[in-house]
Amino acid sequence: MEENIINFKATVNGLILIMREEDDFDTVYEHISKKLESSGRFFKGASMSVKYRGRKLDAEQEKMVSELISKKTNAEIKNFEEDTSAPEPTAEETEKVVEKPRMKRVFFKDLEEGVTKFHKGTVRSGKLVSSEGNLVVIGDVNPGGEVVATGNVIVMGSLRGMVHAGADGNKDAIIAALCLQPVQLRIADVITRPPDTKETSKGLVPEMAFVRDDLVYIESFLPQYK
Amino acid sequence: MSEVLVITSGKGGVGKTTTTANLGTGLALAGCKVVLVDTDIGLRNLDVVMGLENRIVYDLVDVVEGSCRVKQALIKDKRYEGLYLLPAAQTRDKSAVNPQQMMKLCQELKEEFDYILIDCPAGIEQGFKNAIAGADRAIVVTTPEVSAVRDADRIIGLLEANELRNPKLLINRLRMDMVKRGDMMSIDDIIDILAIGLIGVVPDDEKIVVSTNRGEPAITDDKALAGQAYRNIVRRIRGEEVPFLNFNEDQGFVDKLKKIFGLKAN
Repeated sequence: MEENIINFKATVNGLILIMREEDDFDTVYEHISKKLESSGRFFKGASMSVKYRGRKLDAEQEKMVSELISKKTNAEIKNFEEDTSAPEPTAEETEKVVEKPRMKRVFFKDLEEGVTKFHKGTVRSGKLVSSEGNLVVIGDVNPGGEVVATGNVIVMGSLRGMVHAGADGNKDAIIAALCLQPVQLRIADVITRPPDTKETSKGLVPEMAFVRDDLVYIESFLPQYK
Repeated sequence: MSEVLVITSGKGGVGKTTTTANLGTGLALAGCKVVLVDTDIGLRNLDVVMGLENRIVYDLVDVVEGSCRVKQALIKDKRYEGLYLLPAAQTRDKSAVNPQQMMKLCQELKEEFDYILIDCPAGIEQGFKNAIAGADRAIVVTTPEVSAVRDADRIIGLLEANELRNPKLLINRLRMDMVKRGDMMSIDDIIDILAIGLIGVVPDDEKIVVSTNRGEPAITDDKALAGQAYRNIVRRIRGEEVPFLNFNEDQGFVDKLKKIFGLKAN
């Protein structure tokens, strides 16, 4: 792992020299010298500032390293100082940060706008498509398929599977489909299923489902079908 | 005394689910308290065949994972007193449940019900192992086809390896006219190969397709021959001695008349 004793990293206006805390100064110095021997010419004539991190250097050491770099690269070193900015988060940390803003028990309220997931294609039996926000399915939802969203659910096709809108408790959520014939329809904690009597297919009639006083209402959202 | 019966076959499409639905309904009609457990996670059908699909809120996986109580997941069939369904999950797979959990579940259900019928998925993998884990008895369903019988043989071997002795054989979709022409394996041919006790023979019947699509088990249809066969199997499960149906296709007019008036013992 000798390679890792020192590392150079390019930034917008210069270089960052990354060292390890456990190595003594002589080793570090030697490695910088070696490394620049092979790649130093690249910087010839350049003017840059160099920062270092990972290890403390006293004033004398700073000067030594600065001179070394200058000599080996033929570049003009504008300044040489310790990098005090916070280290960039690693990929793992970035992910954690993204997840943080999600708060439990506070349900998704943005029904007029907000995060929306688009699912293209048919949701077939056994498939579960879910969204933390609104959900638009461009395709059908077949029996046995499930679509679950914390916001609204819009199906640009026939909805014949299980659908759950406002899954974390929002009763204002709506469900709309070009052909609304779900096996079961849920909005927040209200669960309904179609009547047992077989209805004759009316073809594609765009309909919307919503909750009022814990009852699910279904009505056409296009005036010409009313 | 309650009993856990697993209905299995190895091969798919031979009628496990149809058999489970019909036998369960039959047992409930006979006054028993019955629960049907669908273990075909990811390819559930029993709820559809029973016409209860739209009532599912919780399923088997929710129960074993502890996200709900068993009673919450049980769907009561309003048409038949004492009949309940525990549906499988559709958006999960077989690995969501393990045999230990199934055993525990069966023990729990045994306290409530007289009969627990387990609808086994096709295959011999995890799903099969889950299904047979808590079973006391097994019914092996086969059709008179070489491939189905071959798979049934394998299943019987596996059942015996898992300490499920004396499985019973149910031959489904038998067509007497074809057997007579020598185009189909006869009951005797099948029993010769499998060498286990026969619990019933169900003839091929168009009405099964109709009833399955409607979600009403054929056993409730008095006119369906398959329904009659299933009713007899129910009586055999309950320990009665019932003679096997005679599927003689060319019955004389008098025989048919007698049958209509219920004079002929089937």
